[in-house]
Order: sequence, then C-alpha cells, then structure tokens
Amino acid sequence: MRLHFSRKMLGIPYAVFLLFFVILPMLVILFYAFTDKQMHLSFGNFIRFFSDPTKLSTIVYSLVIAFITTAVSLLIAYPVAYILARSKMKKKFVILLLFVTPMWINFVLRINAIRELLGWVGLLGEANYFNTILGMVYDFLPFMILPLYTTMLKIDESLYEASSDLGASAFTTFTRVTLPLSMPGVASGITMVFLPSMTNYVVSDMLGNSKVTIIGKFIYEYFGTNWHMGSMVALILLIVVFLSTWLTGGLKEDETVRGANL
Amino acid sequence: MKLKRFGALALATLAAIPTLMFTAGCSNDKTVTLRIFNWEEYIDEGGEDSWDGTEDAPAMIQRFETWYEETYGTPIRVEYSTFGTNEDMYNQLQLGDEYDLLCPSEYMIMKLAAEGYLQPYDASFHDPSIEGNYYAQNVSPYIRNMFESNRINKEDASDPSTWADYAAGYMWGVTGFTYNPAYVEGSELSELGWDIMIDPQFKNKVTTKDNVRDSYFVALAICYKDEIEALDPTSADYNARLTEILNRTDAETIEKVEAVMREMDENIYGYETDTGKADIVSGKIWLNFAWSGDAVYAMDLAEAGEDEDGNETESTLLNFYIPESCANLWFDGWVMPKGANKQAAQAFVNFLSMPENAVRNMYYIGYAGVIAGEEVLDYVKECYEVDPAEYENPDEEVVDYDLSYFFGDTVEEDNAIFPADRVQAEERQLHAHYPTYEVTRRCAVMDYYGEEANETINELWSRIKSETLDAWAIVVICVGIVLVAGAVLYVKFGGKLDLFRSRPKKGYHRIRQENCR
Repeated sequence: MRLHFSRKMLGIPYAVFLLFFVILPMLVILFYAFTDKQMHLSFGNFIRFFSDPTKLSTIVYSLVIAFITTAVSLLIAYPVAYILARSKMKKKFVILLLFVTPMWINFVLRINAIRELLGWVGLLGEANYFNTILGMVYDFLPFMILPLYTTMLKIDESLYEASSDLGASAFTTFTRVTLPLSMPGVASGITMVFLPSMTNYVVSDMLGNSKVTIIGKFIYEYFGTNWHMGSMVALILLIVVFLSTWLTGGLKEDETVRGANL
Repeated sequence: MKLKRFGALALATLAAIPTLMFTAGCSNDKTVTLRIFNWEEYIDEGGEDSWDGTEDAPAMIQRFETWYEETYGTPIRVEYSTFGTNEDMYNQLQLGDEYDLLCPSEYMIMKLAAEGYLQPYDASFHDPSIEGNYYAQNVSPYIRNMFESNRINKEDASDPSTWADYAAGYMWGVTGFTYNPAYVEGSELSELGWDIMIDPQFKNKVTTKDNVRDSYFVALAICYKDEIEALDPTSADYNARLTEILNRTDAETIEKVEAVMREMDENIYGYETDTGKADIVSGKIWLNFAWSGDAVYAMDLAEAGEDEDGNETESTLLNFYIPESCANLWFDGWVMPKGANKQAAQAFVNFLSMPENAVRNMYYIGYAGVIAGEEVLDYVKECYEVDPAEYENPDEEVVDYDLSYFFGDTVEEDNAIFPADRVQAEERQLHAHYPTYEVTRRCAVMDYYGEEANETINELWSRIKSETLDAWAIVVICVGIVLVAGAVLYVKFGGKLDLFRSRPKKGYHRIRQENCR
C-alpha cells in the first residue's frame, strides 16, 4: 500500500488539535456536570442550580453586566470605527493603533492602573458595579473596534457614490448602506465582548473589591471545592453564550466575511 | 494568579527540556528525585533579598541539594512547585499529581489524613537523640505540644492519631488586624474587638479575606461574643471550650453567622487576597484583616517606605491588633502523601529545621517558624531586643518580653525573656511575629469541618458574595430576555419586518406595473 499525499492530510493536525483541545474537554465538562461525587449519573447539580435563587441571580446579574458592557462598548466603538474607516485622513492607522495598543500591555497591569485611578478619584469601594463595568469596557473596547473597523473598511466606495447619486441624504445613506453592511462587524464585536464580560472575574475582583460576583468567579470558586457543580455552571454558561451568539447572528454560514475580520 | 501559573508552567516546560536531554543522554540511576509542593513565596529563594544579601546567595533548594549529596553520598534533584490555596493543592492531588512533600495548613492536613492520602512519619523521626534529627532536636516545645495534642479525627474516639503522626510544622501564626494609627486609635479597637468588622465608624474602611474560612471565623467570633467573654480564662478547659465555640457549624449557628456576614458585607470596603497591604499603606483603608506573617511583612515595608515592587513611598507606621476575646491560631506543616520517598522527604524537613536554615527562611518570608533554639532566639533578639539604658524613661517605654513558652528548654533558662520596646511588644511587629503566651491562650485552631458542613458553609459563602434577587425580579428579567430574544428572532426570520426600509410611496406600485407592460 502506498501512501498518497493528498490535500486532505494537511487537515489532520487541525483535526487532532480540535479533538484534544475542544471536543474532549467539552465531553469532560459534560461528564462532570451530570455526575455526583461518587461518579454516578445524576441530575442533582442541574436541579440544584435552577432551584437556587443565588445562582439564578448571579446569572442574571452577569447577563445584565455583560449586556451593559457590550452596549456601551458598541456605542463608543461604532462612531470611532466609522470615522476612522470613512475619513480621508492620512496616517489614520496611528489613531487606530492608539486605540488598540492598550491591548498589548499586560492585562493585570492595566486593571491595576485603573484601580489606582479610581482610588484617586474616590470611586473605589463606593460604586462597585460602575467600576466593574468601566473596567470591562476599557478592557474589551479594542475587541469591538477592530471587527467594526475592518468591516466598514470593506464597504465599497461606489455604494456610497450610488447612494448620493440617487439623492439619498447622509442619514439615509447611513441607515441603508453603512448600517446594514456593517452588521457582521457588529455581530462579531458583540460576540467578542459579551462572553469575556460574563466571565472575567479579575476585573470584578480588582475593581469591585470582590463584592461583585459574576458567573466566572462562581465557576472558579466551585472548582476549588466541587468540580461537578463547577462543570454544571460552566455548561450553563456555554449554553447561554451559544444562544446569545446565535441570536446576534454569529453562526450564519453565509456571512463568511466575519471570519476574516477576526 | 492564572497568568502566573501559566507562566510557571511555560517556565517549567522550558526548564524540563535540558533536564530531559540530560537524562536521555546519560541517565544516572542513582539520582534521587524529591517532589515538593509548597505555597508561593514560602521559602528562601536566595539572591539579594536573602539573609546573606549577596546576589549569588544560593536558594534553600540548592543548599539542600548540595547538603544531601554531601551527607548521604547520593545526588538529589528537587522538583519544586507551588500552589496558591489549600484547595488548589487538594485538587492537584485528586487529579493524580504525585509529590513527596506537601505544605498544607492544619485543617487540610486533617482532611488529607482523614481521607487516607498521607503516610505517617517514621517513629524515629521524632527522637531527638538520633543524630541528624534536626526537627526533633530544635522544634519549639510549644509547637511540639500543639502537634501532639491535636487529634486528626476529633469525631472518632477510636482513632488516637495526632498531627504529629502525619505532619512536621513549618510556619505558624495568629490572625488580627493591621491598622493605620494615623486614623485609628488602638484603645478604640480594644473596645470593639471583632465588632470592628461591622462597626459603622469603619464603613468602607476595613477589609476581610476573600476566603470562606477566615470570614466565617470572624463572623463566629462576633456571633458568640458574649458567650466567649463569659468564659473563665483561668479555668483549665478554657481553650477547649473556646475552640468548641469557634468550630460550630450547626444549623442555628449557620443562620446566625449568615446574618452577621451580611452585616459585614454591607460594612466592609471589600474582600481581598493581596491588595490589602497596598491599600492600607495608601490610606484607602484603615484596617485590614491579616495573618500575622503577612502583617509583619506589610509593617516592615510600610515602615521602610517601600511598596511591594521596591519603589519608594512615604514611610508609614502600621500597627497590629489581636482582638482580646479570641483569635485564630494557624499552622502550616509538611506532610508526605502515600508513595512518597520518605527518606528524602524527612531529610528535607530536617534540613529546614537546622536553626541557620530556619532563620534564613524566616528572614526571607517574614513568618514565624516552628523552630526554637539559641540561634533562632538570637535572631529574634537581634530584631527586637533593646537596651533600656538608651531610653529616657525605661520603666514606661521598655517591657520584658517573655517567649519562654515558645523556646522552653531549647535555650538556657530565662534567656527567652528580653527587654523590648513597649510599642513593639504591644502593638507592632514583635507582637505579631511572636505573640505572647497570653495571646496564644485565647487563640483557637479551626478544624476541618467535614464534607457536609463544608458544603453548607460554601453555599452560605456564595449567598453572601452574590446579590440575591427576589423571585419576582428573576421572573421579570427572564421574561424580558425572552421577549428581546423573540423580537430578534422575528426580525431575523420573520422576513416581513424590515426596519431600514421605508414604505413605498403612493403610486409606486402603479408606475412599476406600467413599466412592466
């Protein structure tokens, strides 16, 4: 038997990678979520989760925090991306770079810096939820700007010309050309910001003095004591994120452009 | 923390490459390996910050490797890794990681021993007459007594095993508050005791630890304040009764504790694991719940006018306050899991117990070690002994500090009583570093609560830490989410509704139809 080299074989490393680092871990989580400490099949964790107001409240709080973070990031990022993509300015990449460079500085350092600033202003310890959301917006903003900017850059100039030839006002051009065509960028931006703001408990610990508990912290604490419950919470988070991604349209196959944006 | 661990992993991988190549190249069958799992920053790591103060001062691990080969003639290689919490360490063990020596806290030692993870020390290990048994020869009689009198399994009367069977001590201390005397008077604190945590005058000015056991202890001390104060400190069973109160986990207690913890949650500035030191120096908070060793470290740094990264700041004097009613007494000790290399592990514990090495470790990490003896006493005196002749008013400003209970017969009689600055002895480093016998008498050890109680307390903790909404609020928000989701779905798949297209103008249809013809 001779081995023929085919293009398909190039995919093997990726398949192996996906198997070991994506599929197997998911199965392990699934296994732990539906077993008890004696490793017997059990729905106890599931029932406990949905009958405990604390856990449901934490999910709701996390959702609300993530929602506000995403909305604020979007409100800030959209005009920035629009102006950068549409302006005729030379060297506009410098401005883009200024927005993105914080991402290259160590995360813990940035959060510590914000913590000091907030302490200086006097907000630390006073407005824990505000601080947490502020920190998250600051931290995740580049993830919103970048996909928006690249999608907007790709919008064909001739569409704008056609729009103004047909007598559309600037506002109509925006609502009928820019907005619909930038939707894939909006969707991927939302996906990139929503999940980390539900789970990044370092921000809520540092800026909310650990008084703000989000679902990520919950998972972390459960993994210190009870892996089964921790896996169940992780699984539920997975489903919540999957649903919200699906709702924002992140899973539609025809919009392959988005993949390139990231 | 996570990042740190990942970094450590990457480093470990890098470090493993040459080792692998080495072992593959010329395998030396005789080399012994000792796998140690210890707290982060809990051993002398050599270099400029160490006792010797020179850049090339070897770390404790290297010293041990050299010493072991010289003493036993076999080369040894130490694989050293660290953990951040007792629970992390326990998880690693459960995952099947194998070690020869671990350094958990007392309650985790009890849990591990009760679950059969540990093997006992050799009986000869505790015999001071055998040469090389540095631990048995140098350990403080106070610590030895603690380890020999605390049982592993308090519930089961048929199990006589004690901590000493499974563990050798390493570091110990008490809990209390570091406070900034610029804002808080020591006498004010004495009136409040643990109530500091719920007192409105310290609203947003005090922190507790972001860990359930420490906060639970504080809440217990507040709950049973009256009962604790009613105990007679002179009675023989005083400490036993105190310990019983501070280890309660019955349903009624949990209910009371929950109410107190809620009050604490309202009152405190926040929960912290390591931001407290910086926050108290910068004046953000006035009081910080702290372990004694950490407190000594924070006081030293603040006094020297340095932050943790060695940058210069203003010099601040911090004090340490141990509540008069009670405090928590804790120990970290070395234990050997089953399958460990006992000989090498015990040799390591003995090596750390040589007085000079004990001093090195104490100097580096700031905690109080379990080792006594002249050399350790000299170190303590070097830090805290004063000359009364230098004081204007020695009767007022100097006190005799008595550590005989700790040093016992390891030093010459009365040597462990030395003159110390009154401020040091009553509210600063010395008082935190080596508490007096009177302080240790009112300290209780927190036991392992058992699986069931542990679970209940963890649930209690998560209730305190998260905001719990009323049922109706959850329902309303869930309905809201479903409505939004429904609207999005309708927009996406309903097809008919197009938000960005205005209605066709009148006459539009007719024109189009005409065009078609």
